[in-house]
Amino acid sequence: MNNTILKVNNLKTYFFTRRGIVKAVNGVDFELKRGECLCLVGESGCGKTVTALSILGLIDSPPGRIINGEVRYGNLDLVKCSPKQLRQIRGKEIAMIFQEAQSALNPVFTIGDQIIEQLKLHLPLEHREARDRAMILLEEMGIPTVERVMSYYPHQLSGGMKQRALIAMSLSCDPQIIIADEPTTAVDVTIKAQILDIFRELKAKRQMSLIFITHDLGAVAEIGDRAVVIYGGRDIETAPVSEIIGSPKHPYTVGLIECLPDISKTTDRLVSIPGIIPSPIELPQGCPFHPRCPKAMEICSQQEPPQTTISEGHKVNCHLYQ
Amino acid sequence: MNKSWLRDYIIKRLFYSVIIAWSILTITFVLVRVGPTSPADRYLANIAASGQDVSQVTAAIEARYGVDKPILEQYTDYMVNLFHGNWGWSFSTSMPVAELIKSHWIYSFQLILLSSLFAAVLGILVGIYSAVKQYTRTDYIATFLSFIGISIPNFWLGVMLILVFSVKLGLFKTYYDTTLPLFSLANLNALILPIITLGTGMLAGYVRYTRSAMLDNLRKGFVTTARAKGLPERTVIGKHVFRNALLPLVTIIMFDLGSIVFGGAYLTEIVFGIPGLGQISFNAIFANDYPVVIAVTLIGTLLVLLVNLVTDIAYTYLDPRIRYD
Amino acid sequence: MTKRLQDIARRIGRPFYGNRRLIKYYWERTRRNKLAVFGLAFIAFLILLALIGPLLTLDPMSVNFEEKNLPPVGFTTEKSVYHIETDDFTTTEVFGTWRHPLGTEGKGRDMLAMIVSGARISLLVGLIATGIAIILGTIIGVLSAYLGGWADNVLMRFTDIMMTFPFFLLLVLIVFIFGPSLAFIVLVIGLTGWTGTARLIRSEALSLRTREFVTAAKALGASDGRIIFRHLIPNAISLIIVIATLSIPGVILAEAALSFIGLGDPTMASWGIILEAGQHSLDTSWWVAVEPGIMLFLTVLAFNFLGDGLRDAFDPKSNI
Repeated sequence: MNNTILKVNNLKTYFFTRRGIVKAVNGVDFELKRGECLCLVGESGCGKTVTALSILGLIDSPPGRIINGEVRYGNLDLVKCSPKQLRQIRGKEIAMIFQEAQSALNPVFTIGDQIIEQLKLHLPLEHREARDRAMILLEEMGIPTVERVMSYYPHQLSGGMKQRALIAMSLSCDPQIIIADEPTTAVDVTIKAQILDIFRELKAKRQMSLIFITHDLGAVAEIGDRAVVIYGGRDIETAPVSEIIGSPKHPYTVGLIECLPDISKTTDRLVSIPGIIPSPIELPQGCPFHPRCPKAMEICSQQEPPQTTISEGHKVNCHLYQ
Repeated sequence: MNKSWLRDYIIKRLFYSVIIAWSILTITFVLVRVGPTSPADRYLANIAASGQDVSQVTAAIEARYGVDKPILEQYTDYMVNLFHGNWGWSFSTSMPVAELIKSHWIYSFQLILLSSLFAAVLGILVGIYSAVKQYTRTDYIATFLSFIGISIPNFWLGVMLILVFSVKLGLFKTYYDTTLPLFSLANLNALILPIITLGTGMLAGYVRYTRSAMLDNLRKGFVTTARAKGLPERTVIGKHVFRNALLPLVTIIMFDLGSIVFGGAYLTEIVFGIPGLGQISFNAIFANDYPVVIAVTLIGTLLVLLVNLVTDIAYTYLDPRIRYD
Repeated sequence: MTKRLQDIARRIGRPFYGNRRLIKYYWERTRRNKLAVFGLAFIAFLILLALIGPLLTLDPMSVNFEEKNLPPVGFTTEKSVYHIETDDFTTTEVFGTWRHPLGTEGKGRDMLAMIVSGARISLLVGLIATGIAIILGTIIGVLSAYLGGWADNVLMRFTDIMMTFPFFLLLVLIVFIFGPSLAFIVLVIGLTGWTGTARLIRSEALSLRTREFVTAAKALGASDGRIIFRHLIPNAISLIIVIATLSIPGVILAEAALSFIGLGDPTMASWGIILEAGQHSLDTSWWVAVEPGIMLFLTVLAFNFLGDGLRDAFDPKSNI
């Protein structure tokens, strides 16, 4: 328990819109241990990104609101923190890297300016010092001709360089936790490999605690220590990565693993999970997966499945395992 | 960032502007010559009343003003004169047009400058606030008021202001007092109603454009990044969002400036009797004094060209993605 | 000839009458905007006024010095008459009467009749001048975008030149030179106000032209004209409608402003002309300045509301 650096308890984030209440996150529990890489896995629209944004309190407040839950970081509950307290944590203790580097960077300021801005915000540095530190960071990320890149605008960099600059920016104040939201999704395979390398190094050299959000099981296998599978705004299975992939318990996780095409086998059709993910406005009663579940029972449509511990560190939310 | 192409662009644009200015001059000249007016028109009544032969006197007047020469010669004369700074002679005021303009431009300038500043500063602030607080009551009120602001005919607003504040309440004079020294508080006081008249439409425009430009940018990715960095909200909005909103804002402002400001200032001067270029052009119309009318039109046009060029250059500094080559 | 025009009209109108569900969709979206509905209602009222009004009101041009400077119904003003015999003034109260519900002006002309006449003129000017400007702007914009190359260059340079002339100053200049008759004013406004439309239509056409349905049409062997009329223009219709609705107030104000400076058609009683007369008699008959102004204001407001509402309704990204 002392090894836990972040704990999310029963987080619920709803968006109140004209067309109804969007229950984007509907009861998510997980904990992040020091120095580990925890993967939040799930399809698009299952609530992973909103969970991450909720941790840092970055939810757009008129339509959205965290209506329940706590996010424990040290002695603080981030959900109950004042905006001022949150601002001291953002970028300094917990940093976030966003999905698409091009839209995440401000197009009218240089890379250098954007990194220096963050440095000077949290650390008592002179401009010269901040600039030097920024350049060192960029070098560490493997960016060549750092002096010039500092004065480049985002559109002048390639996709891979942008992503690296973004990562450098998030590292600038030596945060304890980095939340990476699908950093490998919008890039091609070669860059994906480079980025995964960077994250591996971060874990090794800096002992960084990482929350890695993705729907790419390959990336999970390469870099994750533990994984939390999210569906319909809820965490449905939590386990070490080897067990998630080797012996998945929840029917959804089983389905996900089976969907991965195996190049060594010959098949006529690719396997997929029938049906589509539920709309967060109209979530099914009981277990969110039951309409698509091949092993659904009557109780699944009535009651939400409680959490069951299968083995050390492996938990499932499914009526099958009660 | 290397901007070597900027110098070439400026040169190309200046060259291009000269061509446009020249085309406009030519078009204006042709229009006037093709038109049925003649410098003798204002004297016609007098001529007839004094019993002289109209056609003879007309011919003499026209000869004196060089209007009877073949068009091409008139044109070259005109252009050459213009080049040497001779803008013609104003019949109605009996002085060179250039001098007339020199003594009156300052009034137009102060009116337009003060109104623009008032409209821009207030408009941008309200627009930003309205965008950030979208869907609140303040936003709805501001949007509604800005509709009203752009819909009020500005010359009517001027008349109404005079009606209420000068005629009924007696707080201001009904006409502009030209004896006031320019840099005095009394002058500013006299300009309050005109500034409100000219500025209201501009203000409403600024509120709308700023609001829409800000809204376009408020949902963009870099805003969340900025917040995730831990920046205070006022920096996120005031620096990151606003800087991006400046691009579309400046485009629309430039567009507006060309057409609306000159028409509006013209009318405001007439309503309040401010002796600026609009007023003298207006007087010149009824005295059939066409050199003055042409001159004022030309000045307006040249200013628009200048503003366009400056804005296009400013654009490259506002948005580093823009290149002109 | 008329068959050809009918053909063209049918082609341009095709997206509308041929697709009632689409129209209903846009209408629903517009209807939710209360301001736009108010705008539409006011415009309908104005049209009604313009059509039926002249039949029901007095002759706007008939002068009647007996009844000059009457205030509107419900208001009273004072009239001071100088009597030469007693070398003194007598002040009598003058009441508004229902005979002239909006009062009369300095020459005894009925204000209501003049306002109604003004409504006719403003609507006519608005519709016809905008029509000319839009048609001209659309043709130039579409041609420029579609032909590309040097044709595009030449047309755009020409548009640049026309655009650099401050609109109002240009109007003043031309009307000053050639004389103020209503028909001419309408023509001039239309012939000088097309530049904004041309620019907007051109950029829309440029973006449409790269869309795949155009490439598909070409691959099927469609001619240029066919592509322009059957594909580009119908897709740009919603944009054209919005531009038109939002241009009408500018046109109406242009005519009013011209009349206000004295360059209006003196044989007509347009709102601008009434306003100009009222400007000089603010202390004696303020209603002469207030009434036409209110009408102008409300008309412009109505078109702005409607145009804005239409624009939001047609924009697929706005969440109505």
